[in-house]
Amino acid sequence: MAGATTAGLAGVGITGEVSAASELKRNQKRVLCIWLAGGSSQFETWDPKPSRETGGPFRSIPTAVPGYHVCELMPKLAKQMNKIAVVRSLNTGISEHGLAADLISTGRPKEPALEYPEIGVLLAKELAARESKLPDYVSFFLSTEGRRRPATGFLGGSNAPMLLEKAARPSDIELPNGLSDLKHKEREHLREVLSNEFARGRVGGQMVNGYNSAYAKVRGLMQSDQLFDIDKEPAAVRERYGRTVFGQQCLAARRLLEAGVPMVKVARGFWDSHHDNFESHRELVPDFDNVMSTLLTDLDERGLLQSTLVVVLSEFGRTPKINKNVGRDHYAAAWSCGFAGCGIKGGAIHGKTDADGKTVTDGEVDASDVAATIYKAVGIDLHKEYYSGLRPVPIAKEDAKPIDSILS
Amino acid sequence: MAFDPKNAKLNTACEVPGILFGLCHDAARDKLYGAGTDWSVYCVDLKAENLTTEKKWTNHENYVSALGLLGNDVISASYDRRIIWTNAETGEQVRSVVAHKGWVRDLAVFPNGKQLVSVGDDMLVNIWNGETGELLNTLDGHDKQTPQGYTTALYAVAIAPDGKHIASGDRTGTVCIWETSTGKLLGKLHAPTFYTYDARARVRSIGGIRSLCFSPDGLMLAIGGIGLVSNVDGFVGPCRMELWDWQTGQRTGTCQDKHNAVLNQIAFHPSEPYVIAAGGGDSGGILAFWDTKKEKPIHKAKPKGHLQQLIVTPDGNRLLAAGHDGFQIWDLVGATK
Repeated sequence: MAGATTAGLAGVGITGEVSAASELKRNQKRVLCIWLAGGSSQFETWDPKPSRETGGPFRSIPTAVPGYHVCELMPKLAKQMNKIAVVRSLNTGISEHGLAADLISTGRPKEPALEYPEIGVLLAKELAARESKLPDYVSFFLSTEGRRRPATGFLGGSNAPMLLEKAARPSDIELPNGLSDLKHKEREHLREVLSNEFARGRVGGQMVNGYNSAYAKVRGLMQSDQLFDIDKEPAAVRERYGRTVFGQQCLAARRLLEAGVPMVKVARGFWDSHHDNFESHRELVPDFDNVMSTLLTDLDERGLLQSTLVVVLSEFGRTPKINKNVGRDHYAAAWSCGFAGCGIKGGAIHGKTDADGKTVTDGEVDASDVAATIYKAVGIDLHKEYYSGLRPVPIAKEDAKPIDSILS
Repeated sequence: MAFDPKNAKLNTACEVPGILFGLCHDAARDKLYGAGTDWSVYCVDLKAENLTTEKKWTNHENYVSALGLLGNDVISASYDRRIIWTNAETGEQVRSVVAHKGWVRDLAVFPNGKQLVSVGDDMLVNIWNGETGELLNTLDGHDKQTPQGYTTALYAVAIAPDGKHIASGDRTGTVCIWETSTGKLLGKLHAPTFYTYDARARVRSIGGIRSLCFSPDGLMLAIGGIGLVSNVDGFVGPCRMELWDWQTGQRTGTCQDKHNAVLNQIAFHPSEPYVIAAGGGDSGGILAFWDTKKEKPIHKAKPKGHLQQLIVTPDGNRLLAAGHDGFQIWDLVGATK
């Protein structure tokens, strides 16, 4: 297991020490999942079809990768395409929000007998530093529509991420007035003793361990409040990320990743543009373009991009057909996603769709292939087995094929 | 003679591929032109016995968004950022100018027939010499971003009947009133109900001022769009129109209906105190007739599909519309008893 044993930003150390293991930290692998909830349009992002009836009114623009064009709404990312890999050939079959989100999030079709954990939960477990006092997984999902809490599945509740659903900063983590840190520690010690006593000889001791672990994390979290405070960032950095909610969340995510949180998810909702698709994408994509490009530059400048995998996913794409409300509906037969950073071959473009974007014509991949690609990019053995009871469960679906053409 | 909109009747529908966003009527030749999303301009000769559509020309390289008529030329605006003058009879392209740094959303021709005005996604209002294509003035007064920091848009423009003033309406519900001769910004009307920003559920917005129209006496400005939207994934909000005394900056009326739709175009009846609005949304297409003194429409007709544009002919006998199912010619004669 790779990882640092201390966590902290320069000047924001949670153990009170400025990290002496900066090299180790740089090598710790981290993952940021940007979840474009509701289903972003591949036509207005990674796989434009200008001048086709299905293509809509946006033009395409050249990128840093010769021959590859993106939608004109992404000029900043176009310049950074040498850092980004794109898969244009997802065919994932399911075009209902909830079921599709489950499929993409777990990399597996639903199974009645077994609930699989979300990819992020597995990543957090695999990439977590053993003694870290930081959360292993922080999930920002501030919009309510399409919100799904990462499933812990058969791994159990102790692997649940820290959820930020009301604000980009955790609330109620300051000590109440009049309670000293010493007193708080004493209370925590008493709680642990009582919990362990309760668990002794009882079925369900694992659950108590989970609680103990969670409380330990809370202690760490209470000392790391500043990590979530983007006001600690220089004004110029905040300006680069922009003042949108998504920009602020991604800046907070970068602070967490830098401090050593191995898994962060930022959901940006809601892209479900059944009506007025082009107007909504005019609003959403430039924000995504600015924030994502800023994030990649920022990670790169801090020496973190090599060790941080950034994945851009949705539950599905959007229809080639422009409907009567000038909208696009759900479409899972041919859509796109993006990768950058750790383990990724920047500038790699995998797969193709036909001239109208209706079908995948080359390099078809499914949800399990995407999951396997993520695991492989950060060096996780796809065949490593977890156990659900006595049943061995490999990390990646048995027939999943990582998309090697985008892996470095 | 009483005008009864309930007798308005769809006479003819002429289909075209895709959507028609723009419309203009050559009253002298009684021809109707439509602006297509297939980059083409379509025409219906309203004098013909059997009305059919004809694809006239394809001079643009993106959606054609608005049309106007200036002498013998049809003026077309497009998302390709250009305005093109095309001889209506020969189809010959007379002139092309890059009009905006962004999609051109709307244009209007001045009553004097010599100038035109356009609005685009650069959030500018440009006044053009209609005969030479020379840019005469650029009016800059709309915010460049939404209050939440996102890209905005400038959807609609209208010219007062005397040509002395221009109104332009943006996504966030602001109307700028300009003095034509000086380009001076005289004031802003704030109609924020037309813009729904959903900060909680979906963290994005919908709406905007999609249509503007001065009353025939020039005293009133009608603003059209959609009211508060419950689900910004779509046009799931009441169709809405506001009437303003634009000179005092006072809203004088609110016309709203539960029909979920955005009103893409508004026209005052030339002789009756009615406003007619066209649009579409979650409840389907709508053609609504409002008495300017009442909140609820006195009649809602169901057009064939969603409508983007409408024109009431100067004699008040016909209503010409365009939208998602091509051209529609409505008979208003029967509505006047």
